Amino acid sequence: MEQQKRASLKNEIVSLPSPEDLPAPPKIKPLKKGAAAPRILSAAEEAGIADEFDGMMLERKLSLFASRKTELLVACGFDEDPYTSGAEAVLRESAEDVAEGLWLAAKACGAKERLVAASSRREAHRFAACCTGTAAVAAGNRYPARTLLMQKLRRGGKKAEWIGVQACAALGAAVRGECRNETVVTVAGDGVRRWGNFRVRIGTPVGDVLAAGKPEKRVCLVAVGSSVTGRTVTDLSLPVTAATRCVIALKRPPRVPAHPCVGCGRCARACPAGVLPWLVHRELEGGSPEALRLFHVEDCVGCGACHTVCPSGIDLMAAVRRAAGLKEGRDLHETE
Amino acid sequence: MKLSNASPPFLHTDVTVMSMLGDRIFALCALLVIPTVRYGPRPLVMAGLSVLICLVCELLTGLMRKEGVPVTEWSFAVTGLVITMLMPVNAPLWLPCAACLFAELAAKAPFGGFGRTPFNPAAAGVAFATLCWPKQMFSYVDPAEPQWLPVWGECSVHTAQSAAAYLKSGLKPDILPFDMLWGDMAGPLGTGAALVIGACALLLFVRRAAHAETTLCFLAAAAALAALFPRIACSPLTSVKYELLSGSLFFCSVFLMDPVSSLHTAAGRCIYGAAAGGLLMAFRHFGAYEQGAVFAVLIANALSPLISSAVGRARGWEGSVYG
Ligand code: SF4
Ligand code: SF4
Repeated sequence: MEQQKRASLKNEIVSLPSPEDLPAPPKIKPLKKGAAAPRILSAAEEAGIADEFDGMMLERKLSLFASRKTELLVACGFDEDPYTSGAEAVLRESAEDVAEGLWLAAKACGAKERLVAASSRREAHRFAACCTGTAAVAAGNRYPARTLLMQKLRRGGKKAEWIGVQACAALGAAVRGECRNETVVTVAGDGVRRWGNFRVRIGTPVGDVLAAGKPEKRVCLVAVGSSVTGRTVTDLSLPVTAATRCVIALKRPPRVPAHPCVGCGRCARACPAGVLPWLVHRELEGGSPEALRLFHVEDCVGCGACHTVCPSGIDLMAAVRRAAGLKEGRDLHETE
Repeated sequence: MKLSNASPPFLHTDVTVMSMLGDRIFALCALLVIPTVRYGPRPLVMAGLSVLICLVCELLTGLMRKEGVPVTEWSFAVTGLVITMLMPVNAPLWLPCAACLFAELAAKAPFGGFGRTPFNPAAAGVAFATLCWPKQMFSYVDPAEPQWLPVWGECSVHTAQSAAAYLKSGLKPDILPFDMLWGDMAGPLGTGAALVIGACALLLFVRRAAHAETTLCFLAAAAALAALFPRIACSPLTSVKYELLSGSLFFCSVFLMDPVSSLHTAAGRCIYGAAAGGLLMAFRHFGAYEQGAVFAVLIANALSPLISSAVGRARGWEGSVYG
C-alpha cells in the first residue's frame, strides 16, 4: 500500500485549543525517576493514560504484560496505516519523553529490554542520536508492519509486547507532574487542504479536528481510526478518544466494483496470520464450508490487508470473521 | 457537508481488476502499431470492429440476464483485441466478428461472464474460426510486398507461407532472425513482433497484471521439447529459436495465459504453463494445423481444475479432511 504520510509530516504537530466545556486536566504528583513498579502503575492510572493504538488503559496493559512475564517492551513509533503519521511525529518531537516513558513502562511490567520501533532507518537513527540509552529499529513499510514486527521478534524467542509512543510520552511527562489528557490525530484525505498532525484534548469534537485541516466543501465521507479498518462518522460532534489516530476526509467514497476471484493469490501473500482468504471465501461461497479446511482463521488479527489488496474488491475480512465464527461452533446464518 | 456511511477500507491498492485489464488493453494496442504502419488502417478497423462486437454481446447478455448494463470491467475489449491479433491482416472482416460472437456468446455468457469462464473466450473464438474457416485463417499476406491494404473490402494480395507452415512441412523457414524479432514475416497480425511482445510481457509482469511464472514455464516447456524433438534437421538451439519465434506461441504465452480463477498458487500456475507449452508442441508435431496454440490453451484450461485440485490435495486444502 502506498504511504501517504509525507504531506502530514511536512510541518510540526499543531496544538489545537481545548474546547471550553472540557474540564482542565487534573494535577498529578510528579513521578520520581527511581519509582517502583506499583507507583508507576498508579501514576499511569492517575494521569488517565491510554494506549493510542488500542485504547486500553496503560496501567491495565502493563499489569497484563507483567503477568505474561514480558522480556522485551517495544514502543511503536510508526503507524502502519498509510494515512496516519501521528506516532512518527511524536517520536520526532518528544523523543526524550518517549525514552523516559518506555524506561518507566518497562520497569513497571518487569521487561528487561526496551526497543523503539521507528518507521524507517532514518527515523531510527534520528531517535538513537538523541536518546543513546535505548535501541531503535526500523519496522518497515509493509502493512500490517506492527503485527509483522512482533511476529519477527517473537520468532527470535523473545516474549515481546508493544505499547504506543504517545502513551510512553505521556508517562515520561508524568515525571514532571504533567497530565496529558490529549492525543495526536492525523488529518488527511483528498477532502482536506491542510494535511497535518494536531494535538487535541481527548473529548474534542471530531468536527473541530477536521476544521483544522481546512475541509473542502465537497467532502462526503469522514472516517476515523484508520484508512483500512476505521469507521465512518456522520455526526461530527462525536468526541475524539485516545484511540482516534486519524481523521480522513474523502470527496468520493472509494469503491472497487466487486468481481469474482481472479485467483491472483495477493490476499494470501498479504495476510500476516497465514490465513488463505481466497480459500475461506470459496468454502463459504460453496454453501457447506468444511471447518477443518478454514486454516488459521482463528489467528486473524483483523488487519484488513486481504480486503485492501484484493483486485476483485471482495470483503475477505468479513468472510474470515464469519469462518472464525463457524469454527467456534456458530452456524452459517448466525455468522452473517 | 452531507456525510455518508461506507464500510472500510477507505483506500485500496492500485491493482484492481480494471487496472489489470487496462494494462492488457494498452499492451495489445501497442502490438497494433507495427501492422498499422505496414498495412495501413485495416488492422485498426479490424480491432475496432472486434471490440465493438464483443461490447454489443456483453450488453445484450447483460440485458438478457436482467442485470442492466453491467460493464464494470473491460474484458470484452481484451477478448476482441486478442482475437484480432490472431487473425491474418488480410482476413475478411467478418472472420474476427464471427470469432468474437462465438467467444462472447458460447464461451463466456453461458458460464456467467468474466471470472467464471472455464475456457479462455478468445482462444475458444479463434479455435472456432480455425475449425470452420481454416483457409482464411492460414492465408497470410506476403510481407515481401509491403502495401496498404483496403480498409473495408476484400484483399486480393499475394500470399506467402508462414514460418509455422514451413516447420510443419519439415522445412527450415527462409526468414532472417532480425525479421522474426520485428515480425516482418507472414503470420497472424499481432503475433510476429517478438521484441514488442517481450516488452509488453515485461510491462504486464512489472504492473502485476500477469503472472510471469506461467509464461516462463510455458516457454521453458516448449523450448525443452523443441530442443529434444526438432521438427527440422538443425541444431537444438536453432530449433528452439524457430519454434519460439514462429506462429503465435510467444504471443499466446503472454496474452492467453490469463489469470485462471482456480489457480491460486505459483506451483499450480507453473504446472499449468508447462502443460500448455507441452501441449502446444504436441499439436505442432501431431496436429493437422500449422497453428495449434489456441487448442493447447483450451486443453490446458480444461486441465486447470485438475491441476488446482492436485496442488490443493498436496497441501491439504482439498480432498477429504479426515485423511
Ligand atoms: S484481516 Fe485477517 S485474514 Fe485478512 S489479512 Fe488480516 S489477518 Fe489475514
Ligand atoms: S486477492 Fe481477491 S482475487 Fe486475488 S486470490 Fe485473493 S480473493 Fe481472489
